[in-house]
Amino acid sequence: MSKFVYHFWQNFKEYLVLIFLIILSLYLITLDTSPKTQKLRAMVFTSFSIVNSIVSNFIGTENLKEENERLRLTNAELMLQLSKLRKDALLIDELKNSLSLKHTSKIDLISSRIISRFSNNNQETLTINAGSKNGVEIGMPVISDKGLVGIVFSVSDEFSILKTLRNNSLNLTVKSERTGEQGILKWKSNSLRIINVPKTYQIKKGDRIVTSELSSIVPVVVPVGAAYSIENVETGIFNEIVIVPFVDYNKIEYVFVIPIVASKEIRNLEINLLKKFK
Amino acid sequence: MKYTVLIPFLFLIPVIIFQMTIIPLLSFNGIGPDLILILLVYYTIRNSQMYGTIIGFIFGGICDLVFGTILGSMMIAKTLSGFIAGYFSTENKRESYLTPLNFSMIIFLVGIIDNSVFSFFSSFDLSENFISALLTSTIISSIYSSFISILFIIAIPKRRRFE
Repeated sequence: MSKFVYHFWQNFKEYLVLIFLIILSLYLITLDTSPKTQKLRAMVFTSFSIVNSIVSNFIGTENLKEENERLRLTNAELMLQLSKLRKDALLIDELKNSLSLKHTSKIDLISSRIISRFSNNNQETLTINAGSKNGVEIGMPVISDKGLVGIVFSVSDEFSILKTLRNNSLNLTVKSERTGEQGILKWKSNSLRIINVPKTYQIKKGDRIVTSELSSIVPVVVPVGAAYSIENVETGIFNEIVIVPFVDYNKIEYVFVIPIVASKEIRNLEINLLKKFK
Repeated sequence: MKYTVLIPFLFLIPVIIFQMTIIPLLSFNGIGPDLILILLVYYTIRNSQMYGTIIGFIFGGICDLVFGTILGSMMIAKTLSGFIAGYFSTENKRESYLTPLNFSMIIFLVGIIDNSVFSFFSSFDLSENFISALLTSTIISSIYSSFISILFIIAIPKRRRFE
């Protein structure tokens, strides 16, 4: 018997090892969401992130001049917008006072820099240099000066990993700013799309798409992108709207975490990314 | 125990850092070369199929944890890649497989399998057109990797490549 086992092992050891390792990998897939895995992941990516941070710092200084120039231009544009908004704010304050409405609270954003990224066709993750010490938690939305970037899904003391919108496991409730019509945003066929849009919707090319207040992931209104084209789905009664995101994911360097985690109760009612990672 | 079996792990750390910091600057639309796969295939051809399968599993696990992909998805992809690359580790043909052209072709072949398996386990979506997904990510990425692998294999001195 032992001879048979020995010969069997000698003849098929590569296949046996392969089968064993594949079964082990499949088992590990089921453990992806467990707290122990999250802890291990936080530990491993922290150690890599420290080195990544140094390397990306070095690369970052090369582009500093160009970045400065761009920021100066943005500053000038923002200054013009600010003076207009100040005027409007005074008027809104006046109106709010007269109607006895409460002032909306200011959100203190957590600023951070992208130190490394990983992307393939359907998944993109970014590592940022802000972690639980800075107040970052799993589930917090991340924005840039242009719009929504993604959602935090793993956090260590100093660093966090976020999933960008270019991720087919993320479903986000968005709406058209002009018409207020709601839909589900999803990364599909290499583009951002609002899926299952009834053919009666009035969304047009160029409409600004923002996150919906109804979203369990991003409870504040953040710009996402602009409607680019409306594609007819031949089968069924729905259309799909292709969205061009405001954020250029390939060039983005600095991001801001919004320190808000949507209610767990609401979140548990919806099928979205957080269920997978929390 | 031969310490040489641990050499790929020493190279893995700088390669992962390079993959996460420099490669995004060279990639377009999120498609870039997979340096970890090149390292895996190279050491599998130099050693054996069993060795490739095991280091593929370990490489995949480390990558899953560092890149933030679903734990196990890259493990399966790299384990299979190591196993398939192992078919090119026959002792009498090893030298010919480590020439630039042959090596890049092996990387292309293994890259297609690696990308397909990884996409399947990490982000499989039934509503996606499988052929277009295969064309856009898998093949382009594999071509890119195979091109970079030519530079990689040329950079290794012939004497070290075949020792």
